[in-house]
Amino acid sequence: MIIITGKNIHNVDGINVIDISELKKSYFLGDVEVPILHGIDLNIRKGEFVAIMGPSGSGKSTLMNMIGCLDRPTTGKVMLMGKDTCAISDNELAELRGFEIGFVFQNFSLIPRLSAYENVILPTYSNAKKGMDNPKRAKDLLKLVGLDDRIGHRPNELSGGQRQRVAIARSLVNDPSLILADEPTGNLDSKTSKEIMEIFSDLHKKGCTIVMITHDPEMEQYVDRLVHIRDGYIVNN
Amino acid sequence: MLSLKHSFKMAISSISSSKMRSALTTLGIIIGVAAVIANVSLGASFNQYFTDEIGSVGNNFIIIESKTANLFHDNELHLIDNTPGIEGVSPINQRVAKVKYGSTVRQINIQGVSEDYVHVGNIHMETGTFISDKDTYMAVLGHDIAHEKFGRSIGNKNTIDITFTRADGQVISHQFKVKGIVASPENTLVQSGIESDIRIFIPIATMNEILGEDYYRGFFAAATSLDSIDEVTDELDRRLARSLGVPSREIDNEDAKPYFLLDQGEILKEVDSLSAALSSLLMSVALISLIVGSIGIMNIMLVTVTERTGEIGIMKSLGYKNYEVLSLFIVESMVVGLLGGILGILLGIGGAYLVERAMGLPYVFPMDMILLGVLVSLIIGLLAGLYPANKAAKMNPVDALRHE
Repeated sequence: MIIITGKNIHNVDGINVIDISELKKSYFLGDVEVPILHGIDLNIRKGEFVAIMGPSGSGKSTLMNMIGCLDRPTTGKVMLMGKDTCAISDNELAELRGFEIGFVFQNFSLIPRLSAYENVILPTYSNAKKGMDNPKRAKDLLKLVGLDDRIGHRPNELSGGQRQRVAIARSLVNDPSLILADEPTGNLDSKTSKEIMEIFSDLHKKGCTIVMITHDPEMEQYVDRLVHIRDGYIVNN
Repeated sequence: MLSLKHSFKMAISSISSSKMRSALTTLGIIIGVAAVIANVSLGASFNQYFTDEIGSVGNNFIIIESKTANLFHDNELHLIDNTPGIEGVSPINQRVAKVKYGSTVRQINIQGVSEDYVHVGNIHMETGTFISDKDTYMAVLGHDIAHEKFGRSIGNKNTIDITFTRADGQVISHQFKVKGIVASPENTLVQSGIESDIRIFIPIATMNEILGEDYYRGFFAAATSLDSIDEVTDELDRRLARSLGVPSREIDNEDAKPYFLLDQGEILKEVDSLSAALSSLLMSVALISLIVGSIGIMNIMLVTVTERTGEIGIMKSLGYKNYEVLSLFIVESMVVGLLGGILGILLGIGGAYLVERAMGLPYVFPMDMILLGVLVSLIIGLLAGLYPANKAAKMNPVDALRHE
């Protein structure tokens, strides 16, 4: 069976997967500074399943971009697996994303021209941990999410739930330290949402660290810990 | 690290997802490369054709023609024959006369030559032998004269009547015995003055005797090699000028000399410059087409990059580095260029082959041009892809993802 360890050479016990301190982020509209995040402190330990909740405009997507190394903070520190993401180059940041983070997006974000299998193995073309870039692993991951009979299908030949399963399999291909899911059930009906959340629950039980951004209060039942964010502040942790 | 194999795979999947658009994009490159290939192939073919053609007229020939009557005599013949680098020389006279065979009469070019003409004029015999200096009323017929000009074929040992009109108006007829038939050269299009198919050769001494003349219209000489033909012609020019009393300062003034010289090297040079002019015309068409083609590729790559902004965001979230995104799009652009190049090469080779066959030209396969075609199309793909790919690589991952 597949090894999903959430471990790698950087993962030493005692170090948090995510360590955020004094994080501030502002956007600039011309000369006008628009602050989004006003000093966030957040730690996420290995093996946790955390939901970051908040209404739209609360800054939760911006926070996710910071955690996912897609954007850099204005001030403050974001440490991922003990690495300061502010102190490294764009290429190193990209490499960190490839190795340590598995993204699952609301709109599935699959490449439409590629089959389910090709989508799953795509991250390894750029960053492959040792032994992760083999066809068997990609196929096993599709089996894990219940799509072993859809390996050669393109995204447009799959239902929404199936597409999200492909995206989950893709997020796991490099055995990342963290799965970062941005409204993963936002585009799905309630039955399919439940199925997807059960997959996340299973992964959590196997030891995966998961951070999920959501505004859906029903998701509370699946997670260990809730982080409420409002107007750029954490209001309840 | 993104491998070339994977970049190539991604490029193929992208191109094949919009086949029509890719095909239209490559059109400029197809036409440009096809024009280059066809141009080079046709140019080489023309050159080879003319070289063969001129070669069939004579071996390294030099033609000396007098501008006035009564200029060249045996003195000049010996002078030419004794010039270093001259292999052989035949004096030439030419006159249109009435030729009668059976009951048919035709106007035909009669050429008075010496026996050396068989070498310097590159004459090959179909039957019989060429005239020798001992012959008198003997004739050698061109291929078309023997087989087509008269109602029935003329064979060896048949006799023909040739009627000359002398300068003083006197008409003289003589019977000539056919000594041989000249084989038709492979190709003949250069100057009717040398074409052997449609003329009758007779001994020049006999011709002069009939016409009551003692001078030669010109000479047909051969140099020992094509490489030395320029120097030999120059030397010949100096000797003739001195012998005929042309001042040495007028040696380069063609109008001051009572004769002119033409050698095979000069004709080849003229052919070269003609085909170079043709070539530069086709080349400029090719160049314009390639430029338009590259702009087409750049344009379509810009559209592709904009269309795939969301995908670029995904790739970046999956850990693709800027230079990897760059290389993805450059490889795609180069593959588009290469596809155009390959189709262009096929079209160019096919087109050149058809034209050459239709025109009866020798087929020249431009092997090195295929390599050049591939190289040019790859470079154009690369250049056209640089700007769009750079645009893609520089995208901010957050903005690109939001674009989806």
